[in-house]
Amino acid sequence: MKKIVTMLLAGGRGERLYPLTRDRAKPAVPFGAIYRIIDFTLSNCLNSDIRHIYILTQYKSTSLHRHVQLGWNILSPILGEFIEVVPAQQRIDEHWYKGTADAIFQNLYILQHERPDLVLILSGDHIYKMDYRKMIAFHIEKGADLTVAAIRMDRTMSREFGVIEVDPEGRIIGFQEKPEDPRTIPGDPEGILASMGVYVFNTEIMIKRLIEDVRSDSSHDFGKDIIPSMIQKDRIFAFDFRQGDRGEMGYWRDVGTIDAYYEANMDLVSVIPQLNLYDPEWPIFTHQAPFPPAKTVLLEEGRIGTALNSILSNGSIISGGSVKRSILSPRASVHSYADVEDSILLSGVDVGRHAKIRRAIIDKDVQVPQGMKIGYDLEEDARQFTVTASGIVVVPKWIKL
Amino acid sequence: MKKILVVEDEEGLRLLYQEELEAEGYEVITARNGKEAIQKLEEGKPDLIILDIVMPVMDGMEALGRIVGKDRKIPIILNTSHSGYRENFMSWVADAYVTKSSDLEELKKTVKKLLTKSKTG
Repeated sequence: MKKIVTMLLAGGRGERLYPLTRDRAKPAVPFGAIYRIIDFTLSNCLNSDIRHIYILTQYKSTSLHRHVQLGWNILSPILGEFIEVVPAQQRIDEHWYKGTADAIFQNLYILQHERPDLVLILSGDHIYKMDYRKMIAFHIEKGADLTVAAIRMDRTMSREFGVIEVDPEGRIIGFQEKPEDPRTIPGDPEGILASMGVYVFNTEIMIKRLIEDVRSDSSHDFGKDIIPSMIQKDRIFAFDFRQGDRGEMGYWRDVGTIDAYYEANMDLVSVIPQLNLYDPEWPIFTHQAPFPPAKTVLLEEGRIGTALNSILSNGSIISGGSVKRSILSPRASVHSYADVEDSILLSGVDVGRHAKIRRAIIDKDVQVPQGMKIGYDLEEDARQFTVTASGIVVVPKWIKL
Repeated sequence: MKKILVVEDEEGLRLLYQEELEAEGYEVITARNGKEAIQKLEEGKPDLIILDIVMPVMDGMEALGRIVGKDRKIPIILNTSHSGYRENFMSWVADAYVTKSSDLEELKKTVKKLLTKSKTG
């Protein structure tokens, strides 16, 4: 049995998710009412029997640390299992991580201490359900030095991803970072293979390549530098996500922008979401404070608490207001005669009487005053909030309205 | 003239290395530990570093990372009496690993090889 250590990169700034990332790193951004983005990757690990996990953090990590502390302190150190948060420590060099490869190199002492056969490198930025055991088995079977998880995307998306070129055996023969003119999949001229930022490495080869990278002019990134440098000299393979996709829908989201984030959340309120959160064999773990169950109250003429096609979390109360196609996180309240549509309310948001909200994301603990309208006059909204190209209004945390 | 930085806490060895390398035609500067080595690196811009591992104040393994952080391409030879440090992944950052010996032939050969390589490469 091979010894495997997992390094989960959770330092992403998520700049395009601003203002949701104003006070938190991208992996700590709330998703799907009760989760944080990182919960999906961590749940994948536990559901794949992977229990030696280091989470490497960097920017704005307080919120993430707290979440992992509260929600993920569930393994048994006595049995040698752990999820450990490792902040950037400037152990080797006195600067922040310069890229994904540098983040691993700067934590070489962990690998020295663990001496694993294989290193599984993950990102805390993505939402998907994947059985990593299948990828590891593939890696061993192929006798690979590196295996990169790959998902088919439409070729028009190539500017967003690392694009992998493979031969018929799945061996990687080319890698382009965010190309305008991508190499398409053989026999599928409209499709590309995008790197999911999930890697299985043989430890020693990885360290050798990381050191070569450290000692050369490079951006110190797995996609831009390490993978291209290995194509000629090492055995590197692409693993088709569909072979390890627990959801069987090919569902993998980067949620890198507010619009993508909004769409991925809204998928969850559809009748049959692409992302199935109900699979008893593949639970998504998180931290939930002990709030009472969600509640709707008031049944008077013209003053009825209702929620339709919506997700309600514990601690939320709809008191004589109306909620449609929306996501209410824990402790969200909607008061009488208020109207919330196609929106995401994060924890503790309070919507006052007669307020009207549509196509908006309201960040934590914001108090929406009585009668306020959000999402009805985008020009007006843009004066104080972020409004995306597709017209989603984001109301930031801490704002006093 | 190529400049070599010798990082060694033992005074006798430091002098020996200095004499022998100067006799080979190199300019030699010295440091007594990793911390001094980093200062010398900033002041003197050496072409190559010979680095002991077990030293007070800052050992060679820690200095190795810091040196590369400041000058990623400078050739570094780890020089120690314990070959066991090769098992430390960090030691792989060095360009060469020479076990200490009273005969400096291997060290001199390695210095020459790395200086030629860095000139052409």
